[in-house]
Amino acid sequence: MLKTNDLGYWYDRQENSLFEHVNLEFKSGTSYAIVGQSGSGKTTFLSLLAGLDKPRAGQIELNGEPINKIGLTNYRKSHVAIVFQSYNLFNYMSPLNNLLTAMAVTESSHRGDKDYAAEMLRKLGITDEQMKKNVQKLSGGQQQRVAIARTMCCDAKLVVADEPTGNLDEENTKYVIEQFQKIAHEQNKCVIIVTHESDVAKACDHSYRLSKHEFALES
Amino acid sequence: MNFFKRAWLNLTAKKGRSILLILVTSAIMLFVLAGLLIRNAADTATSNAKKSVGATITLSANREAAFKKMRSSTSTSKKSKPKLTTSPVKLSDAKKIAKLNNISSYSATVSTSANAKGFDAISTSSSSNGGGMGMKGGMSSSSSSGDIAISGVTSTASTSAFEEKSSKITKGRGITTADEGTNNVVIESELAKEDSLSVGDTIKLKATTGSKKTYTMKIVGIYKASSSTSTEQGPGATDPSNSVYTSYTFANTVKGSKYKNTADSVTFNVSDPAKVSAVKTAGKKLINTSKYSLSTNDSSYQTVKASMDNVKSFADKIVWLVAIAGTIILALIVILMIRERRYEIGVLLSLGEARWKIVAQFFVEMVMVLIVSIVIAGAGGKFVGNKLGQQLVSQQTTTATTSSTSTQTQGGQPGGGGGAPSGGSKPSGNMNGGTPGSSSSTTTSQKQTELDVSVTVLDLVELGGFGLAIMFLSIMLASGGILRLQPKKVLIE
Repeated sequence: MLKTNDLGYWYDRQENSLFEHVNLEFKSGTSYAIVGQSGSGKTTFLSLLAGLDKPRAGQIELNGEPINKIGLTNYRKSHVAIVFQSYNLFNYMSPLNNLLTAMAVTESSHRGDKDYAAEMLRKLGITDEQMKKNVQKLSGGQQQRVAIARTMCCDAKLVVADEPTGNLDEENTKYVIEQFQKIAHEQNKCVIIVTHESDVAKACDHSYRLSKHEFALES
Repeated sequence: MNFFKRAWLNLTAKKGRSILLILVTSAIMLFVLAGLLIRNAADTATSNAKKSVGATITLSANREAAFKKMRSSTSTSKKSKPKLTTSPVKLSDAKKIAKLNNISSYSATVSTSANAKGFDAISTSSSSNGGGMGMKGGMSSSSSSGDIAISGVTSTASTSAFEEKSSKITKGRGITTADEGTNNVVIESELAKEDSLSVGDTIKLKATTGSKKTYTMKIVGIYKASSSTSTEQGPGATDPSNSVYTSYTFANTVKGSKYKNTADSVTFNVSDPAKVSAVKTAGKKLINTSKYSLSTNDSSYQTVKASMDNVKSFADKIVWLVAIAGTIILALIVILMIRERRYEIGVLLSLGEARWKIVAQFFVEMVMVLIVSIVIAGAGGKFVGNKLGQQLVSQQTTTATTSSTSTQTQGGQPGGGGGAPSGGSKPSGNMNGGTPGSSSSTTTSQKQTELDVSVTVLDLVELGGFGLAIMFLSIMLASGGILRLQPKKVLIE
């Protein structure tokens, strides 16, 4: 589904590149973990996959088409759903409106369907009362569930998550990981999670370690 | 159009911020509206002034040409005494001019004098106290002509003294066109009081020239001249109370048979003061300019116009200054708002929202704020506009009155010909001698420069246009931040 061809990225000088000549392939219906030390460049790699930044070298292909041809804005809108460590929800909206807004912006096939959005939230343990409150009144774990529900409502086949369990306790972490697995296996999506938690990495189908500017398959 | 819904959700969720935005925008809109209202009111006042103040053109003898003729004849025959010969205005010429476009009416004026017979004229004391009015039998002011000043008019109502309310009919009626060919007279109340005369009584006047015939006059009205006018009499003038109004035909009879169907001057009222020059040019073509001259007087209109132009110019400056300041203030507020909402913008960008739609969301939010602000400004605009407008007008009118008065003082000559009351229409400070009522022209202009500040739907639409322009500029100035924002930097780094 997603392929990187000789992908490289550096900030100021090529000699100090974070990574170069990365050739990886990510498939639908599979979850991937990317692990590595802080500052190794795993989040930057994720931002390239998410279309939030442009690579310095090489290219990313989605189903054989370079994403820069699709256009990064279109790519993000139609093909990628992103989950952040700090949830990044619209803080002036309810969980339900957060989902409806995301569905409208991404032109999801379910856009405007309140019942569908409510069903997604219910699946992730958000009650009917909670889904009408302001999203800031929910706990961190609940907010992350809303963020995951948002990815489920969109039609994107690629879900990327940057440290999605970084702010969560053990119980919520377990729950969130289960949901990502469901998204990959039940919705046949490609899930890529950047994490520094070994438990999260182990739960994924495959795990890549970014170390010394190179990616290595761990499992 | 999801950004409309996002804008609405944002405004309703963040009530405190929205209220503050509405208050700031309302203050800006209030001042813009006040400026627009004053400007529009000044426009209306100027156009009303055109209709109500009017302007006049006076047809009279060409004294300049007469002086030239006198000087040339003196130089050729040095032994003879110089004599100024002017031609009275022929009414047939006046009628031709009256047919021109924009001439609404005209009135003829004939000034002469006669001696009171069988009753006493009021004499003015020449003591330094300056009072003396109404003193019967005091030291008589010297005059080679008669002691009663006769002002022959078409109608008293069209004279400046009566138009400007410095003279008022207190009993009976004024002279009208129906009095042509009669010996009807309107006398001053002090004269009536001193001689115990009332409406219906008759008086006798003896001509000082020609056959020196005595005429019996019937009093049809008594008028009261304002007391201030007496101070305007120049040396050699009779007391203003000795001024009487008759039909111009009677005044001509007193002057002599050769003055039949003539007048000293004829004043034409021009319906549109802006056309005065055009009417004057057209009128000149109809008269012998070596004998007659046409002079214009639109000073009242010019006074009001100048005053309103100043108010309008100031109102324009208010509108533009507030609009510029408002744009800067709102742009700064929007810039701060965008900084505060970087994460929201980042999330929208990460979802694939187009940047222009994010800018549009901010614009819609500000337009919603603007709509509420316009309603608030509309409610308060009339009050602020009224206060500010009246303050401006009072300052401008004071300036205009001062300049107008000084012009009149320079222009108004001490009256000749026995101080006949002003026979002309609206213009004041002319050469017709002592002019009861000349001081009131500025009062007229003051009345007409009152601003009628009211908020109409059109004003609110204009305000909305200004508001939209201000909001658009503010958002454009502030949207640089949105266009440059990198979602990766906001959301990940």
